[in-house]
Amino acid sequence: MNNILEATRINKIVELGKNNELHILKDVNLEIKEGEFVAVMGPSGSGKSTLLYNVSGMDRISSGDVLFKGNEIGKLKEENLAKIRLNNMGFIFQNINLLKNLSLIDNVMFPALVSKDADKNKVYKRAKKLLEMTGIAALENNNINQASGGQLQRVAICRALINDPDILFGDEPTGALDSKSATEIMSLLTEINKKGTTVMLVTHDAKVAAKTERVLFMVDGKIVASKKMNKFDAKVDNIKEREESIMKWIVESTDTYSNKGEEKMAK
Amino acid sequence: MFLKMVKNDCYRKKIVTATIFIFITMAVILGASATNIIANLTQSMSELQERAHPADITQMHAGDYNQRDIDKFTEEQREHIAMQETMVLLTLDGNNIHFGNNNTMAGTVQDISFVVQNKSFDYILDLNNNKLDVKEGTVAVPIYFMQQYNLKVGETITVKRGDYEKEFTISDYARDYEMNSSLTSSKRFVINQSDYNEMLVNQVGEREYLIQFKLHETGDAQAVQTAYIDAGLPANGPTVGGKIFLIFNAMSDTIVAMVIILISILLIIIASLCIRLTFLATIDEDLREIGVMKAIGISKKDIKKVYLNKYRAISVVAGIVGYLLSFVVVNLFTGNMRLYISSDLSGNLKYALSLIAPLFVYFIITLYFKKVLKRIDKISAVEALRSDIMQRGKNKKYSFSLLKNKFFSTNIYMGIRDVFKRFKLYRLLIVIFVICTFIIILPINVYNTMNSPEFSTYMGVGKSDMRIDLRKTDTITEDYKKLQEELANDPDIEKYAAYITGSFQVKNAEGAWDYINIETGDFSVFPLSYLEGNAPKEDGEIALSYANASKDGLDKKVGDTVIVKVAGAEKKMTVSGIYQDITNGGKTAKATTSLELNENAILWYIVNMDVAKDVNIPEKMEYYQSQYASAQVNDIKEYTQQTLGNIIGQMSTVVIGGIAISLIIIVLITALFLRMLLSKDMSQIAIMRSMGLTANNIKQQYMAGTLLVLIIGIFLGVLVSNYLGEYLVSMGMSSMGAAKIELVNVAWQTWLLCPLALIVVVGITITVCCKVTVKDDLSVILKG
Repeated sequence: MNNILEATRINKIVELGKNNELHILKDVNLEIKEGEFVAVMGPSGSGKSTLLYNVSGMDRISSGDVLFKGNEIGKLKEENLAKIRLNNMGFIFQNINLLKNLSLIDNVMFPALVSKDADKNKVYKRAKKLLEMTGIAALENNNINQASGGQLQRVAICRALINDPDILFGDEPTGALDSKSATEIMSLLTEINKKGTTVMLVTHDAKVAAKTERVLFMVDGKIVASKKMNKFDAKVDNIKEREESIMKWIVESTDTYSNKGEEKMAK
Repeated sequence: MFLKMVKNDCYRKKIVTATIFIFITMAVILGASATNIIANLTQSMSELQERAHPADITQMHAGDYNQRDIDKFTEEQREHIAMQETMVLLTLDGNNIHFGNNNTMAGTVQDISFVVQNKSFDYILDLNNNKLDVKEGTVAVPIYFMQQYNLKVGETITVKRGDYEKEFTISDYARDYEMNSSLTSSKRFVINQSDYNEMLVNQVGEREYLIQFKLHETGDAQAVQTAYIDAGLPANGPTVGGKIFLIFNAMSDTIVAMVIILISILLIIIASLCIRLTFLATIDEDLREIGVMKAIGISKKDIKKVYLNKYRAISVVAGIVGYLLSFVVVNLFTGNMRLYISSDLSGNLKYALSLIAPLFVYFIITLYFKKVLKRIDKISAVEALRSDIMQRGKNKKYSFSLLKNKFFSTNIYMGIRDVFKRFKLYRLLIVIFVICTFIIILPINVYNTMNSPEFSTYMGVGKSDMRIDLRKTDTITEDYKKLQEELANDPDIEKYAAYITGSFQVKNAEGAWDYINIETGDFSVFPLSYLEGNAPKEDGEIALSYANASKDGLDKKVGDTVIVKVAGAEKKMTVSGIYQDITNGGKTAKATTSLELNENAILWYIVNMDVAKDVNIPEKMEYYQSQYASAQVNDIKEYTQQTLGNIIGQMSTVVIGGIAISLIIIVLITALFLRMLLSKDMSQIAIMRSMGLTANNIKQQYMAGTLLVLIIGIFLGVLVSNYLGEYLVSMGMSSMGAAKIELVNVAWQTWLLCPLALIVVVGITITVCCKVTVKDDLSVILKG
């Protein structure tokens, strides 16, 4: 399978003030294959969200290369990068980020209608189908203050999928939801991935990571460990076991990283 | 502590603070300039009056005259009259006065006369307001002509009439209290007694008399006028009271001061709206701070003080800066006053009076902002800290669905629907655009109205291509007959109508006799639009000018009776209509030719005409001017321009000023508004960009919204200028004799050029202001 996303030695440095820099990503390398379902985990401040925003072109990297489907996105002009985000990428955020003045279905349709040659009828049918798939078709004309957090996150997923993207990025998509809604959203994402869309998630929740097929563990701006699993199948796999195995792996990886640090310090 | 908070806040919101500061400063500059003009005008008018010592009653007369009768009358009226003096004018025609390179003053609407300085009052002054003392061979030229023909001291003018020719060197400008204004139709050139005697001997010019009376402080002008007429003394010209000269002198500067005050008030409104806009737009940002302050126990009063102190500080600084700058800016508007009234405008009154403007602005801004601040009372500490609660809107029915958009691209539609969705936010901008359009369009309309042939309506004459004025000369009657014959046989003349104006006595509201000028002729040839009723058609009908019919005049309505003395007998006449007229002090009347005219009472003849199609009007004018040397041949536009000269000139300054001020306001407000809108919408913009919208797409949205608001503003602004503007101008002009001005609206200027200029300016401002949206990493906003 081909790599859809490839990052080589990327760095992100943020200037906080005079003579005060924060080095968030440090020479990070990453490869994601087409159709893969990847989770990035790590403690707060480890740089996992920054990695997601930088490899998706939402933020500009300070150095290194990011290839998306073979195109170097770090060097693309803003206009071309926007085009890639519109047609090939979808995003879901922890704080949902819907447009306030649009109804639920208009929020879903908006990215598709922005294209010059958009066929309104086709866009509407597709939006309606996505809302049906996520189980909120009845709310299509509601304002955003007339839906729950879980329902709004479903709308955000529909919006991310409206232009049929190659990859879906999620920054803690279940972080602000209750456990029932979180489970439903993850089931939805698993379904979407099964249909061929690559998914890259940032999460601090092992239960969420347990439904992916590869988990990357970040500490101090670096990917320090990677765990490969089979694609999750609810009929065959035991989610509890997968979750526990990830937890155990995280503890081991953290220890290994700490020991290495101490050795380095001793040297 | 508070000062530190004010300083920090101003620093944090630099652009917003600077914009509000600029508006308040501009309002103070204009307000202080206007009060400065009024102070200067009051002080210098009283100085001019003191120096010139003008007459209280001036009776013009041409023809037989005996000074002994006047002296006898003066003695009889000693309880009223302090002094009497008769000035003998040698009136010449414009084509008798030569200057520069073969130029003459032919075609001027002004009556030209040569005089010597009076002995006891009504002095003609130089530019230092000293009594003119003209040496032999020199002349002091009225300021009006110095300006009109660009004459300079040291140049020469030559009087040529028949074989007589005399060259005069211009030694001075003549500042003439009584005849300064272009609205007064006579101008006096001052020469030396010996040159004057020489002209008298050579019979150069027709003699006319200004029989002038200076009254005691307690003297009754009306009683003297009535007694004068009753005594049957020479009076075949108009009688003018001292007040009219005062009004004429001060009129153009007063109009300018009024317009500036109006613009200044509009600026104060704009500054207040800006403060409200700023406050409402940034209250979201400050909500947490307000919450924290409330939570730690700071009282509402003290929280308000933090905000209020900021605008108090801005108002004080802007007030001081504006007050000081006004003394520089005012020079732009006082050129006319320096020339016509006083070259030395160093009086102290202006320093005190100009202080009114900054104090007024300070109190208005503070009062208004206190009202806006009442919003803070409604915010509780918890609500303020949990600002998400504030953002939850009401469950309104969803409107402006994206699917309903049939005509626009989605981005443009998003911009347009935003205006309707957040109308409360945009309506302030609409009000500001309306005001700016008003500031541009109203002066343009007034300027165009004054320049249009339709303006003749307000000068009491119907619209015609040309007019010929015949003033009193020995040959006036023959000239008048000859002219009518020639016009009747001239195939180039499509139609013409002749009018004779005579002086008649009418019974006023108090039952005393007043003199008014009545124009007789056929008024159906060049119809005039009447305020009420119609033109006189039959014997016994009279039409009155608005000023004559008003309470200050004869106090008559259509259908009322006016008693006129005709050939010694009282004649009852019915008022057939009321028309507008700003000429001759606004007090005129019209009647049919059946009104008997005493030859001696005739003041002037006017012939109006329309030329046939394809006839060159200037050529025709030149022909008649050459045939009738003593006549004044003008087209209506030129007549208007010469009569209203100064006011039109000053109006064009106001037009340019209005356009400049409006454009500055529009650029600043649009920039300020967009900046606040962009910062308010920052998260929404980041969301759209995360979806793949380009900065250009987003710019299109804001461009569409702001331009829609601008178009609504322009549309309403033009309507407001046309209707409210017409009302305001009519109100202002009613004191001059025109109560219902219909402003001329040049469609390509009001509906095309101005909107286009505003759209381009706003478009450029949006393009520049929207650039900031591309700067930061999106995650900074999306994660917040």
